[in-house]
Formats: sequence, C-alpha cells, structure tokens
Amino acid sequence: MTRHSPGRRTDRLSRRAFLAAGAAATGALAGCIGGDDEDGNGNGGNGTNGDEGDGEPSSPDVVNSSNAPTTPSVEDPPDAVYLPTHQESMEHLETVEAGEYAVMPMLTYPHKFWLVSGTEREAVTPDSTGVHLMATVWDAETGEVLPVDTGAQLRLTRDGDLVDQRAPWPMISQTMGFHFGDNVPLPEQGTYAVEFDLTPIGGDTVRKTGEFADRFTEPRTVRFEFEFDQEFQESVVNGVEYLEEDQWGDRGALEPMAGMGGMNGEMEDGAGDDDMDDGGDGNGSEGGMEMSMPFSALQPADAYLGTDLGTLASGDATFVVRYLTETRLTDGSSGYLLVSPRTPYNRVPLADTALAVEGALEGELIQTLDSELGHHYGIAGDLASDEQLDLVVESPPQVARHRGYETAFLEMPPMTVEVP
Amino acid sequence: MELPDPDETSRRDYLRSLVAVGGTAALSACLDLTGDESGSGVPTGDPVERPARQHAWNDALGTDDDGNPRPPEHHVLVPLSLTTTPDADASDTVEAAFQSLERAYAHDPAGLLFTVGYSPAYFAQVSSEKPIPAPEAITTLESPEFDEFDAVVHFASDKAAVVMEAEQALLGETDEPNGVEMDATLEGVFERAEPRRTGFVGPGLPAEHTGLDGVPDSVPEEAPFFMGFRSGFAESQAPEERVTIQDGPYAGGTTMHVESLTLQLQTWFEQDNHFQRVSKIYSPEHGEEELAGDVGEKLGTSTGVAGEIAERTEQDARERGMVGHAQKAARARDDNGTPPLLRRDFNTVDNEVPGVHFLSLQRSIDEFVRVRQAMAGEDLAGEGVGQRLNNGILQYIFVRRRGNFLLPPREDRALLEA
Ligand code: HEM
Ligand SMILES: [Cu+2]
Repeated sequence: MTRHSPGRRTDRLSRRAFLAAGAAATGALAGCIGGDDEDGNGNGGNGTNGDEGDGEPSSPDVVNSSNAPTTPSVEDPPDAVYLPTHQESMEHLETVEAGEYAVMPMLTYPHKFWLVSGTEREAVTPDSTGVHLMATVWDAETGEVLPVDTGAQLRLTRDGDLVDQRAPWPMISQTMGFHFGDNVPLPEQGTYAVEFDLTPIGGDTVRKTGEFADRFTEPRTVRFEFEFDQEFQESVVNGVEYLEEDQWGDRGALEPMAGMGGMNGEMEDGAGDDDMDDGGDGNGSEGGMEMSMPFSALQPADAYLGTDLGTLASGDATFVVRYLTETRLTDGSSGYLLVSPRTPYNRVPLADTALAVEGALEGELIQTLDSELGHHYGIAGDLASDEQLDLVVESPPQVARHRGYETAFLEMPPMTVEVP
Repeated sequence: MELPDPDETSRRDYLRSLVAVGGTAALSACLDLTGDESGSGVPTGDPVERPARQHAWNDALGTDDDGNPRPPEHHVLVPLSLTTTPDADASDTVEAAFQSLERAYAHDPAGLLFTVGYSPAYFAQVSSEKPIPAPEAITTLESPEFDEFDAVVHFASDKAAVVMEAEQALLGETDEPNGVEMDATLEGVFERAEPRRTGFVGPGLPAEHTGLDGVPDSVPEEAPFFMGFRSGFAESQAPEERVTIQDGPYAGGTTMHVESLTLQLQTWFEQDNHFQRVSKIYSPEHGEEELAGDVGEKLGTSTGVAGEIAERTEQDARERGMVGHAQKAARARDDNGTPPLLRRDFNTVDNEVPGVHFLSLQRSIDEFVRVRQAMAGEDLAGEGVGQRLNNGILQYIFVRRRGNFLLPPREDRALLEA
C-alpha cells in the first residue's frame, strides 16, 4: 500500500482560511489522540440535532475520545446550503479499478453527518475512535461519477479477521459530491484491508440510457488497504482549515476538492489504471489529484439542449427543466420532459428523489442515468406552448448529508413550470 | 476450539456458546452445568408418537403471552456428506438412528424437535429427479456461497444440552443420549460437512451477546431477535398445511431454504432512531402512529401490514421516502391473505459475528424466491428509496450463503430414493 500524505487537499480555501493548529496545539493534540479517557464529548446519543462544540469561534482542535476535533458549528443555519465553519482534510488512497468501475477511497476522522428518511433528518454523531471512510465510484471509461444508491457494501478485515461489514450510506458533501461513506469504528491502530463490493446498477433503481444502457450489470469487488495510526489521526485533525468567522453560516458552498469533472470531466489518460493488485505507486495522485478523481458535477444549465422550461428552485435545490422533442430517450413518438435537480453552486446531482408532474403532463418521473445528459429524471409526453404543469417533489433526495447540506433539500414545495 | 470461560459469561450465554463450540468436551461441560435440573428432566419419547410430517412442530410448541407459537431456544444445523452409495441397508441404518433419537427425546421443545433435509447434490447422486433447484443468488445485492453438501439435520430444543447431545449421538460421538441406547448411528453412511451452524432465539438472548464487537450495548434487553423486534407473529406465518407438498412422490413433505445473513447492528441501533427502525422493519405507518412499542410488544399476534399497508408500499416509497420490511414482504401473500412462508429463523453469533440463519419452509423453492424478491423491493428502488437505503432493512443485512433442501415426509426421511 502506498501512503499518501493528506496534504493533497485543494488549497483554494487557504487564502481565506487560517490554519488553527499551531505547534502548541499540535502538541496538546498528540496527547489526546488515542487516549481512552471518555470526556463526554463523544456524545453518541440519538434523536437530537444538537451540535458538538458550543458554537464559540474559539481556536478549537481539542479532540474528543473519537478523535473528532471539537470544531465549532454554525448555530442557526439557514434552511439552505450554507458555508460551514471549516473544511475537513482527508487522505486520498490510490484509485482502484475493477471491471467497469473506478473507485477512490478516502479517509478522514469520524464526523457528524445526517441520515435522511422521507423528510426526517437524523444526526449521526461520532462516538468511538475510527475513521469516516468514503469512496467515490465512477465509470472508468468516461470518468462519470455514478451518483445513485447502488447498494454497495464493504467488509473490513484486520489480519484476515472480519472487523466490520456494512453498507456505506449514499451521501453528498460540498467538497466531495456524491459518495458512499460512514463513520467506521476501529478498535485499534493498525493496517486494515477493505473489500468494497459494487453491485450491478439495476434497471429498477435507475434507467440506464445511451451508452450506459447495457453497462454496469456485473458485480465487482475492489480491494484496498489503509493504515490507521497516530500519524493519520494527527494529520487529518491538523489539516482542518477554518473559514473566516464572518462567513460561517452564509449561503454558499465550499468548492469541490477535485476539478469539476463530471460529464465532460477529463480523466487524465491512464490515470488510475494501474493494476489493483500490484500495490505499486502507479497512479500519480501526488499533485495530480484533480485529474484522478472526478467530481459528481452535472453540466451547467445552459449546456442542456431542448426547449428551456426554466431553471427553478425548491428547498434550495436547482431544477434544470427542459423539453426535448428530438431525443433517443423516448421511442420517438413523443417528447420528453427532462428534470435535473442539483445542489446550487457545485451542481451535485440529487439522487433518489421522487418527482411527479401534474397538469399539462401527468405522471411519475423516472430516475435516469444517461451517458451524455447525465443523471436526471424524465417522463415521455407532449407539451405545447402556453401549457402549464406542476413539478411535485414527493420525496426529497434520500441521501445522507455532510455538514452544510443537512438543512437544505428537505422541505421542497412544488414548482410551476410554464411552456413558453 | 477452546471452551468459553464460565466465569466470564452469563449462564444462558455460556450454554449458547457451548452449543456453538460443540463437541464432547462442550457437551460434558453443559451436562455438568445443567445436570441436576435437567439430567432427569428431559422427557424421553416414542417414535410412534411423532407426526407424519417432519415439519409439524407447531402443535408441540408453547405459545407466548399473546398466543404466538414460541420457537425452541437452541438450534443447530448439521451438514452431512454421504460416505457410501445409498442402498436399502444404509437406509435402514439411518432410519434406526433417527428412531433412536425419537426414543431418547420427546417430540417437545423440552425434548427434541428435528428435521432431515436433502440437497440438490444428494438427488443428483441417487436419482434422475430434481425435486428442488440448486440455490442461486436471488437479488443484485448478493454474491453468496452455496450449500453443496448432501443432507442437513436441523436440531431444535429449549435445552442446550439436548441439541448438542442429539447431534453427537447421531454421529456416533456419544452413547446413550438422555440415558437411552442408540440402535444405530449415521456412521458409515454420513460424515460431517461444513459449515455447521448454530443459533438461538428468545426474549433476552440477543442482549446477552453485547460482549461481541458487532453487538452494541443498545440491543434492547427484552428483544427476541438481534434487530430488536418481535417476529414470527402467528398471523404472518404460513400454516403448516400451506407449506406442505400436496401431491406427487414427496407429498407430505416440504422444502427448506436456509439463507445465512450477517447483520450490521451498530448503524441500526446507534445511527438510526427508533422511529426509523420501526418504520423500516414494519412500515412507516407503524413508525408514525407508534404502533409497535419498544420491541413490537404492542402488536399481539399480527403486525397488520397485510392488506392496506402492503398495498401502499410503492406509494410509501415515493411519498414517505421509506418502506418497511414486513410491509414489502406481505405483498407476496396469497390472494386470500395467507402468507406462503413458514419462517423458523434464528439468531447466530457463529464466527463471533452477529447474524441470522433465515430458515424458511414453503411448498416450493419458487415461492421462497418470489417472497424474497418482494422483500428485496428492487422494483421500489430509485425514486424515494434506494436499492438499500430506506428500503426496509436491506441497509443492515448481508447475505452470505444459501441452501435449498427437500424435507421428505417422516416415513421417507431415511435416504429417500435409495
Ligand atoms: C435479519 C433478517 C430478518 C429480520 C430481522 C426480519 C424481521 C422481520 C420482522 C420483525 C417481521 C415482522 C413480524 C412478523 O410478521 O412476524 C418480519 C416479517 C416477515 N419477513 Fe422478515 N426478517 C428478516 C429476514 C427475512 C428474509 C430473508 C425474508 C425472506 C423472504 C423475510 C420474510 C418475511 C416475511 C414473508 C414476513 C411476513 C410478511 C407478512 O406479514 O406477510 N424476512 N421479518
Ligand atoms: Cu461522507
């Protein structure tokens, strides 16, 4: 296994951010990490949305028993996408490929995130040592991130013994877009091996169209290892970068960590195609991360063809709405209504949303992954000038949220679409 | 394998762990422990009193306070491989061995309940018939291993010592189970295969395993199953008649599917909240209306998912972003509302990992597959719920292994077709 330092964060923010952990703080930190003393900070309780930290903008970096830095949080965030107080740092492992898939595993300290069931949100607060383990999965051929719950699962072993088996949550983060992740408790430091199973993308979960129609039908497993040690723990905690305090809670989002890849995102030729077994240092992520990890960004609104039915908003999500008459997405006998909901700013697709239309066109929209148009929801049907329809969000996107996304995309009132 | 230390475990947990370890040392440790109260207390039996259907257990089972059948507490699934070509002599030996067990123990959870099943591999050796298909992966979320041995014996009893002793007596590893002599054993016909599986079920038993890494302290004290909720309500179980093969050479028998699952209890208990758990195991209606109570104690003999709640599954996926496991599975009931599966699943900590051996009886394996697909809810995924996320309990269960078996009627249970 090759160890990459976590220094490969984008430093886009560093201009306006300050590094809180000075030498003294680091020393204090080292003493805390791995310590067994329960200090009560590791609140593992369910059922609250209470934040760790007291919201005071002090210089933080005291870690609790779960090695999560006690970062301040925004006290009264808007019901919208907002800037958190800090940006996490993380370790990127090498890209691993299997069959049609490429996977980049990433690790950081266990941190708070939110599960979503219907319109309910449930905070998950770290309460034991371990990691926040994440993986971004993309099509090795086109570099497009596959942004739906495909039911991935992982097995974590140490010296051949099963330590943990789980299905990481599909989740969205401002800096990482759509990924699978979870806080995984690790009993002790050491080398851990992960088998990450990718299940076929079923036609029921998402309609696959274009070049994707017959793809992603085989289960695959990728394997990787990581080191959970003091050095890792310190580096991810020390790497936390704070935003200027006057920005905390402002509407806005952190910038994606990798270059905005997505649909047209170029994968550097050969990036990530080193043999997963050789464990060598093939894929030069060092400094070249922008190329090796695509970000799940959709195309900007003006890149979509067809009749522009508007770019609407609900629950702070942006909905690009288009009516296509000439399209391979229908059998040719009718037009096609394309709706692409995405996060504002970073254009992260909002997966597993239930959308329906009422009015001039009626019915349920089908989640679709098209090799050219990307992730969207669609329905076949005809529309004429001056017609009107309501776009109804029956369920908001059922994806877990990193900080800054947890208050948005929950209450999503219907939108009115007018055909010009 | 090392025996557990009795000082470090509760008594029931110790008994359970002895069953898991198996072997003669475990058995004598178990008899030492239970000797004074059960040594004489285990009722002996008479083969003529056993019912014609191997799977006819319900009449012998006790009931809980609500009147639901109460499954035996301890279970072992013993896999067997043939060591000889089945013939009439071998068949007589096997039948004599089973009848010896029936003399040693009464047909009662205080005694011994057991069934003998045969796999597709067995039929391939003895006949041209293929009464049951080879096991296959049923959903897109799994890449299981398959049971490839020839036969399996399912032992069940409320007494840990009984399941262990019966198993060893059958294989000739101990004499005189419960003080009764064995006229024959399986030796020379069958030998042990892999993997042996063990388990337990009953209020309070899961919570005794919080010492294991994968079992959080938050498992409710009174829960009968690891996931914390009551299951096996009378109304949601097929009557034995419904799972009995009606005609043909195996009439009076049934089929058995065993699906071994690993459970992720830490996310289930420590990330989800009670509302989510109730909604995901029963239905969102149960969550919103607080119909279940802490562990399903409010439910009596029925979850009430059949009918309206099951019919609303797709709508719940779209509008509530969540569907329940029982709700989804109930979509596969017969038109007249009868459930097609008789579930006799049990908890396990085999290999020190919490799991379930989901043992199900049904008239044909197809019926299992159909219900299992309804439970997988792949048709629901994509808009409102994911392939796993909020789609019942799929986020927390991992299929490891599958096996299909035919359980012949009792009179044909010894090497049928031989
Ligand atoms: C860890 C695994 C499982 C757990 C914890 C579990 C738990 C439950 C619970 C709590 C109920 C509701 C109580 C009841 O109706 O008795 C239920 C019902 C049911 N489950 Fe499961 N189950 C599991 C696996 C399975 C599997 C693998 C199947 C395979 C098909 C299945 C099929 C059913 C069926 C058919 C029902 C009854 C639905 C009806 O009312 O018609 N379960 N289960
Ligand atoms: Cu994450």
